[in-house]
Amino acid sequence: MVDFTLWDIVRNLLLAARWTVGLSLVAFVGGGIVGLLLLLLRLAKVPGADRGVAAYVQLFQGTPLLMQLFLAYFGLALLGLNVSAWVAASLALTLYASAFLTEIWRGCVNAVPKGQWEAADSLALSFGETMRHVIGPQAMRIAVPPTVGFLVQVIKGTALASVIGFIELTKAGTMITNATFKPFTVYACVALLYFALCWPISAASRRLERSFKNGR
Amino acid sequence: MAADAQAAPMGPIVSIEGLRKSFGANEVLKGIDLHVQRGEVVAIIGKSGSGKSTLLRCINGLETFDHGSLQVDGLPLKHHDAKAMRALRQRVGMIFQSFNLFPHLNVGRNVMLAPGLVKKAQGDAAALQAHALLQRVGLAEKFDAWPDQLSGGQQQRVAIARALAMEPSVMLCDEITSALDPELVGEVLRVVESLADEGMTLLMVTHEMNFARKVADRVVFMHAGRIHEMGAPATLFADPQTPELKQFLSALH
Repeated sequence: MVDFTLWDIVRNLLLAARWTVGLSLVAFVGGGIVGLLLLLLRLAKVPGADRGVAAYVQLFQGTPLLMQLFLAYFGLALLGLNVSAWVAASLALTLYASAFLTEIWRGCVNAVPKGQWEAADSLALSFGETMRHVIGPQAMRIAVPPTVGFLVQVIKGTALASVIGFIELTKAGTMITNATFKPFTVYACVALLYFALCWPISAASRRLERSFKNGR
Repeated sequence: MAADAQAAPMGPIVSIEGLRKSFGANEVLKGIDLHVQRGEVVAIIGKSGSGKSTLLRCINGLETFDHGSLQVDGLPLKHHDAKAMRALRQRVGMIFQSFNLFPHLNVGRNVMLAPGLVKKAQGDAAALQAHALLQRVGLAEKFDAWPDQLSGGQQQRVAIARALAMEPSVMLCDEITSALDPELVGEVLRVVESLADEGMTLLMVTHEMNFARKVADRVVFMHAGRIHEMGAPATLFADPQTPELKQFLSALH
């Protein structure tokens, strides 16, 4: 039997962790862009946007991410689109993140006092100018902690992409376990790697929050 | 600020006709007719819930209305026309009870933001204008201060400077001293009085009866969504005609 050193395990996990990072980034950037667009549609009072976006949010918040991944992977195949696990996982996680982010950010915008909108309105600012110069900067400060909290959720959520065969950190852990028969060691390493990804982000968020409080 | 005067057509600068507004089943404005002349100072008084703030907020479109018409400087108010609203709002400044300064911008940038965006005022000219306006409200040295470093009275004076920066023809004041500590009321009212002296058209909802008596050309008493009584302050305060106004005035003492 082949002997695996700890370094063999860690090295292979690190290689797979790149995909976890990549998938998280795609989900977060894609979800952020889509979420922001949905938020703007809602705030600009585009007819039907409020209800439509609310239904979209309910759909993704009310179903497990696992089901969304299955539906993206098998559903697209059913439509005749032969997509890779990478594309399906990116799509599902992007939509999932957009639904959560748009709702989180809506709460942050609502937390900005109504008087700020009224002051901007009475100064003849347009909707875009108001968002960019008055509401946006104030909402962004409020948004840092919940947004980072959700980013950490997304990173951990990418583990579910392993079920559709996408080889990221968790899937790699399973495969290495099957070869080494050292489940505890391997999964402990997997958990530590997730921690190593998430902890610095939380720490950076705390620093950012403090600097918002002190400076402007 | 005087530039507007020569282009001005004669006639009222604000005309309100048959204005009606409901919040759900509750009709808060039941047909308001009001014409304000250029340079006139109108104080609007009345109990809370009489519709006076709603009326004021209709004039720059912060509230929509259901019936009637409203014109400022000949421009009709059209709620769903963003361009028309932007044009109208450039003629109408507003000062709020809660100041509503932008907390993430320093005092100077609070004043310069709207002229920079809407009128494309840039660079030195914009900064000079902001300095001049802050000077006018007695806060020249606060250009670089942050709103939360100022007292309520100072914040409100910055808010006045910010509204003036758009060079409005009409200024709306919505209970602008109600959130202030008593000792800070005077400094804000003095600035408002100086605006009146310089010929600014002012519509103010106020609880400061002495101020209304001293500065206003006309006092409007609102009751239950209607203009109940209206007249020069000297006659209106000394000789109220309706029992409602009598009761309102006596309750103040």
